[in-house]
Amino acid sequence: METRSSVFANPKPCKHLADYKLRHGLSGYKFLQKCLKTFPNGKTSIKMCETTMPKCSFCSGIRQGRLFLCLICSSMSCSDHTLLHSQSENGHDIAVDIERSELYCCSCRDQVYDLDFDKVVVAKNIVDMPSKTRDSVVDGLMRRSSKRRRLNSVVDLDLIRSKFFVWMRGRRAKSCYPLGLRGLNNLGSTCFMNSILQALLHAPPFRNYFLSERHDRETCRKRSSDQSCLACDIGVIFSAVYSGDRTPYSPAQFLYSWWQHSANLASYEQQDAHEFFISVLDGIHEREGKGRNSNKDNGDCQCIAHRVFSGMLRSDLTCTTCGFTSTTYDPCVDISLNMDTSSFCSVDVANKSVRPNEDTGRSTLLACLDLFTRPERLGSDQKLYCQNCQEKRDSLKQMSIKRLPLVLSLHIKRFEHSSLRRTSRKIDWHLQFPFSLDMTPYLSPSIVRNRFGNRIFGFESDEADISAEFEIFAVVTHSGMLDSGHYVTYLRLQNQWYKCDDAWITEVDERIVRASQCYMIFYVQRMLYYKANEDLSCTPMPSRRDPFVPIAGCC
Amino acid sequence: MSVPNEDNMSPHTQLSSHFFGELLDSIIVDVASECHRIARLGLDRNLEEEEEELRLSAQARVTVADPSNSGETNGKYVVDIFGQTHPSVANEVFDCMNCGRPIVAGRFAPHLEKCMGKGRKARVKATRSSTAAQNRYSRGSPVSAYSAYSNSTGTNRLSNGTYNHTVEEYSNGTCEEP
Repeated sequence: METRSSVFANPKPCKHLADYKLRHGLSGYKFLQKCLKTFPNGKTSIKMCETTMPKCSFCSGIRQGRLFLCLICSSMSCSDHTLLHSQSENGHDIAVDIERSELYCCSCRDQVYDLDFDKVVVAKNIVDMPSKTRDSVVDGLMRRSSKRRRLNSVVDLDLIRSKFFVWMRGRRAKSCYPLGLRGLNNLGSTCFMNSILQALLHAPPFRNYFLSERHDRETCRKRSSDQSCLACDIGVIFSAVYSGDRTPYSPAQFLYSWWQHSANLASYEQQDAHEFFISVLDGIHEREGKGRNSNKDNGDCQCIAHRVFSGMLRSDLTCTTCGFTSTTYDPCVDISLNMDTSSFCSVDVANKSVRPNEDTGRSTLLACLDLFTRPERLGSDQKLYCQNCQEKRDSLKQMSIKRLPLVLSLHIKRFEHSSLRRTSRKIDWHLQFPFSLDMTPYLSPSIVRNRFGNRIFGFESDEADISAEFEIFAVVTHSGMLDSGHYVTYLRLQNQWYKCDDAWITEVDERIVRASQCYMIFYVQRMLYYKANEDLSCTPMPSRRDPFVPIAGCC
Repeated sequence: MSVPNEDNMSPHTQLSSHFFGELLDSIIVDVASECHRIARLGLDRNLEEEEEELRLSAQARVTVADPSNSGETNGKYVVDIFGQTHPSVANEVFDCMNCGRPIVAGRFAPHLEKCMGKGRKARVKATRSSTAAQNRYSRGSPVSAYSAYSNSTGTNRLSNGTYNHTVEEYSNGTCEEP
C-alpha cells in the first residue's frame, strides 16, 4: 500500500473552473479577499456590504436558502437560481458560497476546489487571527519541527537493534516458538504486574535496548550501592525471559524493588495495571534520566522509558468571542481515553438482532480517539481569561497529538464514577480495536486544518518523516469486577497471538483477542514492528542449518 | 415530528416554522459541504478497512459467545504451548531478599508485605488514590494535559484479582489473607 505523496488529493477542476482560471486568473479571488471574514470557530464567510442584507437577484429574498456570489459580476443567487444565472449570463459559471467561502460551479451544480482560492482564504485567516495565536496555528498546520530529533532517535534505536542481532546469533533456536515467550508466576494478586511486564517485554525498541545490555548493571550497581534500580531489575527479567528457559519465571526481585520505589502502592492487594505501568516508567526515568539530562521542560528526556513511550500532546484553548487561541504542549507516556458513550451501530453484519442497551453498549477505538480530539465547549462556570479580550470568556478546548511516540500506549477508562450516586462502576462494554492503526487524523496538523475548513495549502510540510502508522503487539485485558478481576495479556508475535495468563502461555485465535475486553492497548510504529518480526524469526541461522537434523521439539 | 399543515397555521406559526426550516437547511448544507470537501480532497479515512474491521470484530464476538466452541474460550488449561502444566499457586521456592527465608512464589507478595512492614496494617496515610496522584509520573503528567476529560486521577483504576476470578482457570485457592 503506497503512502500518498501529499496529504491532499488535488481534485481536477471542472471545465468551467478551468476556463474561469484561464480567463480571469486570480483577480476575482484577490478582490474577494478583502470581503472575507474569519470567525473564532474557524469558519470563513464573505460580507460584501456592511449595511444591507444580501438578497437573491432573482427572487429578492422570498426564498433565501444559501446565497452564492458570482465571481464575475458579483450578483447574488440563491441555491434555486444559480443555474438560472449561469444560463442567462454566458461564462458566469463560478460562484462562491458566502456562508462558508466554498467555490461553487453553477453549471455543474457542485462544489469545486481550487488551490489558489484556498491559499487566498488561508492567508486571510492568518491575518485575521489575534496576533499571538498566529504562530501556534501556523506551526500546528505544518509538521516540520521535530523531524530531525525524531530521526536521530529512531536511528539510534536502530543501532541498538544491530547489537541485538549479534546477541541473537548466540542463542540457539531450540524450539519453534519465538524467543521471549515465558510465563510469569503470580506472586499473590500480581497479575496486574505480570500483564504489564509481558507487554514491556515485547515492546520492540524497549526490548532491543535491554537485550543489548545498554543499561549497564555493573556501573549502575557501583554508582548507587543499595538503592534499587528498576531498570536493572527489568534487565534481569529480560535476560531470564529471553534465555530460552520456558519454565515460568518469578519476578520477585522486581516486585521488591518496585515496592521500594512506589511506597504508597506497596501492598498485597489488588491493583490497577495502568497505575503500575506509569509507576514503572517513572521509576526507570528517575534513575536513568537524572543527571544526564537537566532539560525538563520539553519532554526531550533521553532515558529509555521516554525515548520509547513519550509523545507530546497539544491542547488548544480558544476564546469563542475573539478567536484567540492559547496553545500548550505536554509530554505524555500514554493516552487515557474515555469510552464514547454514543451508541454505535453502522455495519453490524453478524448480529442484526442485537438491541443496544445500557449493559451491552459498544464502542470503537477510533470513536474514542475522535472523542478525545473533539472540540469541547467548556461550561460557563469554567470561563477562562482571554489575553486578547482582557476578561473571562467562554472557551473551546481541543486536544491533538503533536508528536507520536515509538510505542503508543492507549488506556481505556473503564471506570465510571457517579458523584450523584456516590458509586463507581466498571464499564464492561466491548471496545473494537484495529490491529493496524493510522493516527494521522489525530495529529495536530490534521486537527488544526480541520478547524479551519480543511483548506488545501501550497506549502505542505515534508510528509512521512515519522510515520503515523502503527501495528498492535500487545493487549492487556481485564475480566471480572471492579474489585476483583483478572488481567491477561495477549501478545502478537509473527502474526500469531499468544495468551499470557500469569504462568500459562497458550496460542489463541485472533478472534479471541478481538472479542476480549481491552484495558490497555499497545501499538508500535509499523516499521519497527516488521523489523521486530524479522528478529524473532525462529528459523535457525543459515550457517547452522543442517537439513538432516530434526528440529527439536518445543521445549 | 410531522410537518405541520401550512394552511391551518397562523401567520406566526408559519413564520417560525419557516425560520426553523431555514436554520435546519443551513445546518444540513454546512455538514454536507464539509463532508464533500473531505471526501474530494481524500481526507476521509479508509472506510472499507474500517468496515472490514468492524465486521471481523462482530464475527469474533459471535464466535466466542457460542458455547460449543473449543477449549480456549472456557479458559480451562491442560497444558501450555511448551507442554507444561502449572499449579494454581506457583510452587517455585526462593529466598526472600528482605529476610532471607525461603518462600513459596505464590505466597511471596503477602509475605513481603509483612516482611517490609508495608501494606494495609502498616500504612496510616491517606487513601491510595490521593497519594497515587502525587506519585504520578511527575514530568508532564497526562492529567494536566487533559484534565477536562479525566476523572480524578487515582479513581480510574481496575483491580486485578486473586484466584477467585469469574473464569474458572484454577481449581481452588485464594491467597488472600485477611
